[in-house]
Amino acid sequence: MSVFPWLVAAWLLGIGLYGIITSRHYVHLIGCLSVLQSGTYVLLLGIGYKWGAGPPIFYDHPAGTPAVDPIVQALVLTDIVVGAAVTALLLVIALQVHKRRGSLDPQELRPLRPDN
Amino acid sequence: MSASALLPVPVLLPLGVATFLLVFAHSLPSRLSTVVAILTATIGGLICAFLAHAALDGPVLHWFGGWTPASSGRPGVVLGISFLADPASAAVAAFAALLFAAALLFTWSYFDEALSHFEILMLLFLAGITGFCLTHDLFNLFVWFELMSVAAFSLTAYPLGKSSLEGAFNFTITNAFGSYMMLAGVGLIYARTGTLDFTQMGRVVAAAGSDPVLSGGFCLIAAALLTKAAIVPFHMWLADAHAVAPSPVSVIFSGIMVSVALFALAKLVAQVFIRDAEVMALVRILLLWLGAATALVGGAMAFAQRHLKRLLAFSTIAHLGIMLIGIAAVTPTGFGGFVLYLFGHGLIKATLFMIAGIVLAVCASGDEIGLYGKGRSIWPAGVVMAIAGLLLGGLPVGLLHNATESLASRSPTTAVVITLATALTGAAVLRAGARIFFGCSGAPGVEITAPTARQHEKNNRGLALMLTPCVALLAVAVIPGWLVMPFLGTAGARLIDPFGAGGPPMPMPPFSVVTFAPIAMTLVLVLFALLRERPTRPLARKLFRLELLPFRGMQFLHSGLVGDYVAWMLIGVAALAGFLTR
Repeated sequence: MSVFPWLVAAWLLGIGLYGIITSRHYVHLIGCLSVLQSGTYVLLLGIGYKWGAGPPIFYDHPAGTPAVDPIVQALVLTDIVVGAAVTALLLVIALQVHKRRGSLDPQELRPLRPDN
Repeated sequence: MSASALLPVPVLLPLGVATFLLVFAHSLPSRLSTVVAILTATIGGLICAFLAHAALDGPVLHWFGGWTPASSGRPGVVLGISFLADPASAAVAAFAALLFAAALLFTWSYFDEALSHFEILMLLFLAGITGFCLTHDLFNLFVWFELMSVAAFSLTAYPLGKSSLEGAFNFTITNAFGSYMMLAGVGLIYARTGTLDFTQMGRVVAAAGSDPVLSGGFCLIAAALLTKAAIVPFHMWLADAHAVAPSPVSVIFSGIMVSVALFALAKLVAQVFIRDAEVMALVRILLLWLGAATALVGGAMAFAQRHLKRLLAFSTIAHLGIMLIGIAAVTPTGFGGFVLYLFGHGLIKATLFMIAGIVLAVCASGDEIGLYGKGRSIWPAGVVMAIAGLLLGGLPVGLLHNATESLASRSPTTAVVITLATALTGAAVLRAGARIFFGCSGAPGVEITAPTARQHEKNNRGLALMLTPCVALLAVAVIPGWLVMPFLGTAGARLIDPFGAGGPPMPMPPFSVVTFAPIAMTLVLVLFALLRERPTRPLARKLFRLELLPFRGMQFLHSGLVGDYVAWMLIGVAALAGFLTR
C-alpha cells in the first residue's frame, strides 16, 4: 500500500479537528465532524486495499480471485450507518437550540452558564 | 437450555421488547410500558447473574451463527463473532440491569406523556451496555459502544431544555470524536493481527511483540475508552452532560456507563495486550498517573461546586480516577478491587443522583446555597443522602470501603491520593446535604466560584415511591465485603485469562490507618466547610481571594466550549503517543 492514503487520512483528521476547535457555528461544527469521520474511512479502506485486486464480490468470479479485504469494508459500512444517526441527532439538537436560544454560536451556548 | 444458548438473551430481550414497545406505543398505556421495561431489566439481570454463577466453573462461550474457529477450516483464522461470559463480565452486566430497574422505578409516571419513548431508549441503552460487557470481539465492542453512546446522547437531550441541549451537544461531539478514534484504532490493530477476536488477537500480539502500529492502535482505542470514562484530560464533557441530563439518566451515566468503559479497557489490556511490553509500560506508568491526576482534579472540583448534580458529576470523575489506579496494577487483585469499586461506587452514586432528582422535583432547584434549609420537609431524603455521603467519604462499612482499602493498600502514594479524593468528594456531598436538608450554615467557600443555573424536574410522584429505589440500592451497598471476596478472586483471575483456572479468594485488607483515614478527613473537611465565617478583616479577605484563585483557574479551564474540550482530548492523545515514543 502506498503512503498516499495515510497522508489523505491524516489531512482529513487534521482539518476536521481544526474546524471543530475553532468553529463558531454548530452546523459548521457538525460538518467538520463529518470530515473527521471521513478520515477514518480513508484509513480503513487503505488498510484493506490490495493492488490489482477486485471488489470482494464472488457472484460472477471464481473463488480464489484476488479481492480487497471485505472486513474493513464491512467496518466502514457499519460506521457510515452510525455516523448518519449521530449527524442527524446533532442537527436536531442544533435545530432545537436555535429555536430556544436564537443562536448557534458555541461561545454563547455554554451549559449551566446563564450569564452568557 | 444450556448457559451457552442463553448468553445472547440478555441483549436480545431488551432489544426485542424495545421494538415491541415502539410498535405499540400509541395503544399501550404508558404505566404498562414502564412495568414491562422494569420486568425486562429484571429478567435480563437475573439471566446475567445466573451466567456469572455458571461462569465460575468455566467461561460461557457463544459463537453467533455457529461460526466457530474450527468452521473456517484453517488454523489461526477466526471469522466468527462471539460473546464470552467470564464471571466479572456477567456480573457487571447483571449490575447494569439492577441499576436500570432502579432508575426505571424511580421515573414511575415521570415521562407519562411521551409515548414510552423514554422506556424504549433506556432499554436500547441497557442492550448496548450488556453487549459491551459480554462481547469478545473488538469490532463488536465498537458497535455496542456506539449503540450505547447514541442512546445516551438522545437521553441527555431528552428534556429539550436549554442547558440539556447544550450539554448533549458537547457530549455528542466529544464522544463521537472518541468513537472515530476507536474505529481507526480497531483498523490499525486489525491491520497487524488479521483478526478481531480477543483471544486470537492476544496470541498474535504475544507472538509479534511490540510494534508501533499495534501500540498506535492501542493508544487510539484507549483514548476513546478514556473519553467515555472521563479520565483527565478527556473528562471535560462529563460534568456538562451529567449535570443537565434527567436525574434517572444521570443515575445510569454515573452508576455504570462511564465505569463500564474502564471495564472494557481492563479487558483489552488483560486479554489482548498483556504480552506487549511497550503497551504494558504505558498502562502501568502513564495510566497510573492519569488515574491519580483524575482523582485529585475530580475531588477538588467536586468540593468547589454548588450545583448538586454538577458536584456529583465531578465526584464521579474522581472515583473513575481511583478505578483507573486499580486497573493500572494489571494484577488479579487490582482487577478484583476495580470490579468491587465499580459496584460499590455505582450503588452509592446512583442513590445520590436519585436524591438530587428528588431535590430538583420537590424544591425546584439544584443549587445548594440557594436551597439552604429548604429540604427540611423532606428530611428522610436528607437522612438517605447523609448515609450515602458518609459511605462515599469512606465510612468503614460495605462494598465501597473494602474496594477503597484494597486499591489503596498498593503503595503509600496511591493511599494518599485515594484518601484525599475520597475525603474531598464525601465532604462535598455531606456539606451540600447538611445545607439543603438540615439548614446547617457556614459561609460559602470555594464553591461560590462554580457555575449554577435554575433547573427543576416534574414533581408528580410521592416521596416514598422515589425513596424506595434509593433505600434498596443503599441496602445492597452495605453488604459486608467478605461475602463477595471468593467470587472476586476468581473473577479477577478470569478477567486476565478467561480460560484459565480461577484464583484464591481476594484477601481482606487488614485494619490499618488507611481504614479510618478517609472518613476522619471527610469529617474534618465538612466541619471546616460548615463552620467557616464570612471573611471581614482585610487579611482574611486577602487570604480568601488567594484560596479562590486556583479554583477560579480550574473553573475557567472547564469552559463549557466544545472546541476546548476537543483540544484537551488531543493533548491527551499526544500524551499517550508521546509516552510510547519516549
